[in-house]
Amino acid sequence: MLSITYFGHTSFALESKGTVVLLNPGIWENKPVVPDDFSARIVIATNRKDDAIGNSAAISVNSKAWFLGNKETVEKATEQGVKPWLLHVLENEVPYEVPDVRITPYNLSRIDEEKDGRIDNLGLLIEIGGMRIGYLGDTTIRGPFELLEMDILITPIGGGATFPVKDAVSLCIDAKPRIGIPMRWTSEEQPMKFSKYLEQFGQGTEAVVMQPSQKLSVQWAAGNEFRYELN
Amino acid sequence: MSENEKKNVIIDLEESERVQLGGRSELESIDTSGVMSVVNVSDRSRIWNVKVHLGDSRGSTDISKESLAAGEVDIGSKWESRYKVSVDAPIVKLSEIFDTCGDIDTEDPHWAYVSGKDNPVKITLSIKNETDGEIDNIILNKTVPPELSDIQILSTKSGHAEYDEGTKQIVWKDFLIYPHEETAIVIGATGVIDDTEPRSAGEIVLTYRGEGQQRSVLDPDLTALTEFLMGIETAETEPNQWECTLECSNESDLIVRLDKAEVFVTPEGGGEKRKMIDASPSIEMTPNQQWKASFTVASKETPKCTQDLLYTPVRVVTKRVLGTIEKAPQIIPVAKIDYIKTFDPPSVNSFDKTPVEVTIEVKNTGTAKLNEITIIDNLPGDVMPPTSEHVTVWIKGKEFSGPFEFIIDPEDQEPEKHHKVTFTVKDLKDSVGEIEPGESVKINYAVMAWRNRPEKEYPSPIACSANTHPAGIEAEMSSPQDGHKLGVIYKKRAISTKKAINKGANAGEYVVVLVVSNNGEVTAENIKMTDWIPAAFEYVSTDPEDDHPTITKVDDGTNMVWNWTRMNPGDQKKMKVTVQGEGEYERREPEVTSI
Repeated sequence: MLSITYFGHTSFALESKGTVVLLNPGIWENKPVVPDDFSARIVIATNRKDDAIGNSAAISVNSKAWFLGNKETVEKATEQGVKPWLLHVLENEVPYEVPDVRITPYNLSRIDEEKDGRIDNLGLLIEIGGMRIGYLGDTTIRGPFELLEMDILITPIGGGATFPVKDAVSLCIDAKPRIGIPMRWTSEEQPMKFSKYLEQFGQGTEAVVMQPSQKLSVQWAAGNEFRYELN
Repeated sequence: MSENEKKNVIIDLEESERVQLGGRSELESIDTSGVMSVVNVSDRSRIWNVKVHLGDSRGSTDISKESLAAGEVDIGSKWESRYKVSVDAPIVKLSEIFDTCGDIDTEDPHWAYVSGKDNPVKITLSIKNETDGEIDNIILNKTVPPELSDIQILSTKSGHAEYDEGTKQIVWKDFLIYPHEETAIVIGATGVIDDTEPRSAGEIVLTYRGEGQQRSVLDPDLTALTEFLMGIETAETEPNQWECTLECSNESDLIVRLDKAEVFVTPEGGGEKRKMIDASPSIEMTPNQQWKASFTVASKETPKCTQDLLYTPVRVVTKRVLGTIEKAPQIIPVAKIDYIKTFDPPSVNSFDKTPVEVTIEVKNTGTAKLNEITIIDNLPGDVMPPTSEHVTVWIKGKEFSGPFEFIIDPEDQEPEKHHKVTFTVKDLKDSVGEIEPGESVKINYAVMAWRNRPEKEYPSPIACSANTHPAGIEAEMSSPQDGHKLGVIYKKRAISTKKAINKGANAGEYVVVLVVSNNGEVTAENIKMTDWIPAAFEYVSTDPEDDHPTITKVDDGTNMVWNWTRMNPGDQKKMKVTVQGEGEYERREPEVTSI
């Protein structure tokens, strides 16, 4: 059984068997999406921008959680006070494992809207609770994710620094996860379109649009039947 | 005097009905009036003290008195009195069916032209006699509107009809209609209208006569005096015995009816008069005809006789109904549609997969209400069609949840094929009501542009049609066959390869470094890179191992082939291939292909 909680923007918590992996607890519209006292085992920021790293340092320190990120993100976390023994730099395609969790990072990139260039962003393949979850962070490219076998793909759809809806849909069509979860939308129309397009063109992939604070429970019923429930 | 020469005073009832029908032949008004005349047909005798007696027959008229005093009517003159009559319907029923699409049989006629098309108009005019008498003197004039051409009288049940090109009139006449019978004429024409202004279908004027008929129930009678001689001759036949003879003579040239003749004798010594003649002969006396009646009475002196006679000129009643029906022209609206089709986004990046919103709005730009709309959208290849359950429809600005058809042919989602999308909504009159002029039907669905090539064109022509109820000729609007092209933005592809040949750690070992990069603006797919190993060398390994190539022996060495399904802009692959052999490692440049 895997539980996925959405906090808004690109922030999710994955929980299985008591292990909580917190993804991109960013600061969005000048507010932290996840409270500082959130308890996690692992905190991952996929890039160094504030809307990704946000208050990761505080959460990591408060809950003594591992902080994972690429080199420049870890450096920023260090500046923000994360103790060195909690830090771990993720290398491209080098898995990071703890009991019941395996995280494989892939180098992707996001658009730096301030400097009109690109910065590194990690895409993650997270194996937890018997599920394979693709999490693209703030990506504007798909990298190898179209080739990865995934049960769940969490993808940005808001455009700007990241995928617009069309690219997210296109990746879902190619990668064929069981469900696609949108994130980082900037208008209510975007998740509706994502859902509508996947219904039509997804060829088996279902769209699950989560609202902040909603929780998605996913499991293999009877060992082989994929089931989910959104609360 | 022959029967034909008999002269009777005429009471003539000539009643006229003037009828206004609306455009759909519905009765709008009927105005019925009458003229009652007393006509003295005599050549030499006046009539006077003329009274017309109506009794209880005035019911539906505005005549208030039971008897009307007509006074004196001179020779050859007449007295007239006008009155109104209340009726509900005329004695003749006129109906026009102006069918703008006579080629298609429907229960109800078609009532709208279609702009820009040849409308096969069929006009059926029917006249029904609703009375028990004949209707004659029928003349029907139908004005033919100027937009009609090829006028043809297709059939007439009776009479003669012809079309006058100069006056644009059809005149139908020379027939009568028997009681409760109906007759009809059918006219064919072609209507061509290029704008949307509603047109007049042309008015109709029908005149007719119902001889011997009346709209009121007046049953007039007449009393009058005329030149009539009367007297009593007394002649002694024996002493003190008298024969008294009442003699009457019609001195006029009219027929006079003697209704009553009474003679009284006054007794010699006084006392009450004795009636000696009491007759009701009711005899109609021709001019100069005499009538006599006698009795005898004993009297020493000449008897004193007085008479009381009641006579009147005989009348005949003639009557007729003259009718005029004016039918207002039916107003014929014009059906026309226009459409707007948009792609959002209007252009897609080449070699990409992009959802595209297709919005088509069909607007009623005519003046007729529309009952059904059909949209046929032709999707080009390299486009994945929508699924039938994912179309959104708005009618009159509101989302429509009623029944409609959305058919995709062929019924699959294979982007390589062309697809025809057909949307049809019918019977709007039974759901949200017909589409009024200015209102629209809008549909939206998404397609997936599928790796479109910049050198290709992707026209998506459209054909829209609409119809009224009942359905006739369709109003159509379509694009050219190469219309509505989905734009493809050319994104430059630039796959570069770099190669370095470095000495390895061991003797005869070389490390070939290969770097392939997508430096273009668009994702590259199906990338294939081939590099060659000279014959004197063997492939050993690749770092990273996951990127090991397919090895194929060729005449002059070994080929290494890598395949990647996709490289995004900025993506780079770097491989280090270790080879082992002898001699000099000849350099050839790697080849790379992609789409």
